[in-house]
Amino acid sequence: MVIVKRKQLSFSEKLYLPEILKGMSMTFRAMFKPRTTRQYPEEPLPVNEVTRGQPRLATNDEDGSIRCVSCGLCEAACPAYAITIDGQDTDRNAITIGGDVTEKFIEREPESFDIDMLRCILCGFCEEACPKDAIFMSDELELADFNRNDLIYGLDKLKRPVSQLRPRIDYIYKVNERWQAPSSTR
Amino acid sequence: MIKITVNGREVEADPTKPLIAACDDSGIDVPRYCYHPAMEPKGSCRICQVEVSEGGRPGRVMAACRTQVSEGMVVNTEADGAHDARRECLEFLLKNHPLDCPICDKAGECTLQDYSFQEQQAAGRTGEPRANLEKRVDLGDVIMLDQERCILCTRCVRFQEEVTKKPELTNAGLASNSYITTFAGRPLTGNYQGNLADVCPVGALTLKPFRFKARVWNLEKSSSTCAECSRGCSISVEVLRRGDVKRIRPVFNPDVNQWWMCDTGRFSFPEVNDPERLLGGLVANGADLMGSTTGEAIKHAASVLSTSGSKVLIASPFLTVEEAERVQPLAAAIGAELLFVSPDANDLKDDLLHTGDPCPNRKGLENAGFRGISPKDAADRVTGADAAVLVGERILKLLGGFDLGATKLVTFDTTACLASGVEACIATPFYVEKAGTWINVDGHEGELTIARPLPSSVSPLETSLEELTKTLSRTGASV
Repeated sequence: MVIVKRKQLSFSEKLYLPEILKGMSMTFRAMFKPRTTRQYPEEPLPVNEVTRGQPRLATNDEDGSIRCVSCGLCEAACPAYAITIDGQDTDRNAITIGGDVTEKFIEREPESFDIDMLRCILCGFCEEACPKDAIFMSDELELADFNRNDLIYGLDKLKRPVSQLRPRIDYIYKVNERWQAPSSTR
Repeated sequence: MIKITVNGREVEADPTKPLIAACDDSGIDVPRYCYHPAMEPKGSCRICQVEVSEGGRPGRVMAACRTQVSEGMVVNTEADGAHDARRECLEFLLKNHPLDCPICDKAGECTLQDYSFQEQQAAGRTGEPRANLEKRVDLGDVIMLDQERCILCTRCVRFQEEVTKKPELTNAGLASNSYITTFAGRPLTGNYQGNLADVCPVGALTLKPFRFKARVWNLEKSSSTCAECSRGCSISVEVLRRGDVKRIRPVFNPDVNQWWMCDTGRFSFPEVNDPERLLGGLVANGADLMGSTTGEAIKHAASVLSTSGSKVLIASPFLTVEEAERVQPLAAAIGAELLFVSPDANDLKDDLLHTGDPCPNRKGLENAGFRGISPKDAADRVTGADAAVLVGERILKLLGGFDLGATKLVTFDTTACLASGVEACIATPFYVEKAGTWINVDGHEGELTIARPLPSSVSPLETSLEELTKTLSRTGASV
């Protein structure tokens, strides 16, 4: 058994006020010293093309059309069952991607494309599964809302112009040697 | 029957059938596109190549669908030469195939995908551009043709020549410019067009009502029986995300429907996807109907029935054999005759499958002692009685609108009856939500299985009927 003796307070300590002032002086001095921690959320987290943020759907810069053909491969690949897609018929002409017409026309497009962001684990399987370069992990990381329903993102919240996702797309092509497509079709 | 050796195993083969049929019968899978057991082998796709040696001579690679079996034949379906031949054949088939699998509805159940994967043959060696054909050819109300995806197996042409005996499709053009088209570009007709999409081994012929509605690997498939006529074709009910039935396809049943089904049955799924189905029950509250649970509705129904004079019970021809057994004690308890609505034969009758009789379980109900009456007779009996019980799916639809008069009505149906005089409506499952048996026109039993879960507020018809009978006997005892 160890007996720990209580420290006997001195007179000035018993007075309480001098000790408070000592502490306050420490605080005030620290206010003018250089900052050592990140000032989040005023100062956002650093992101680059390697950051695997929330998945976003790429839209073509030329006409804002969505690249997704609702093939369902991301839905099948998703380990968290976060993606739900319903397809529909479309007459939309295939759009020229980077100046080349890659397909005659796209017959199918998503009617609804929902990602439950509460389920999404940001693993990037959807990005890897996509045969149409339509879904990419963006650099958007922040996720907050007041209710769960608003965190199921639909097409309106997921669409991003492809130019905004370009650094990530280039990075993905760089690290995946098997994706050897000419740069014009990206 | 003669004896041949397939992959080192001695099997019996029917000499009137091609070698590929003997392989099928012995459980050995040989790839095929153009061969279909219901049609004459054509040998146009060449994917079914196997190595055959006869009389001790070295093996030769030949198409299994165009080879007649002979005594002592030695077949090796996995020989290197056979695989080489299949790979070369696949390279040619994929030469003009657009590889738009992400868009194609067949992806996931496409044998072109399966065999390419199996034979590890994806890349072609030619730099020639792919053929440029029509991507969307409208072939009537049911079928959409994509000529680029077509591998010219001519199964669809032969299906119409040999099964429906009404040829409307043909292979036009020469050699590499061949394509499938209808005679003079006329749209397809007939009640068996949907089967064309089933026989097509690739995504060239797709069903318009199913186009882009779902990916096939997301569909949960359950075997069931078609409800649209008394033939009772074996079907597979395919449900997307435990919700709507997206597709109905025939399942091979040698005794009933072989490989086929009619379009009436195939496209009957909107019937079971009714967004306005009744959930729980409805109970009369003064002049209005009030939502309730099935239990409350049954209690109310029992009190109405026990205080009324003459009573009739009319069953629907959609009742299963098991449900009919539960109707018998109920009819005895209320002193009603066993009757079911038997609508007149419709004009859909044909030589192939459709019987024209819209009662899927007529035989089963007749065996259980039910008597069929016309909808008009049924309506007259209902209005003539003090209280009436209508039991079964689609009974209200079959009877049509009629004036109830002073009759108090209790219904067991998937929809509600809102006529005045209705005392209680009790929700029942659709036929895709219950397990049971239907007996078809020839006496074959058709199984129903639960293809999607029943909504929690709906109880199975058997349970509701038993509960009503029990409640009735209790109230009868107390009176």
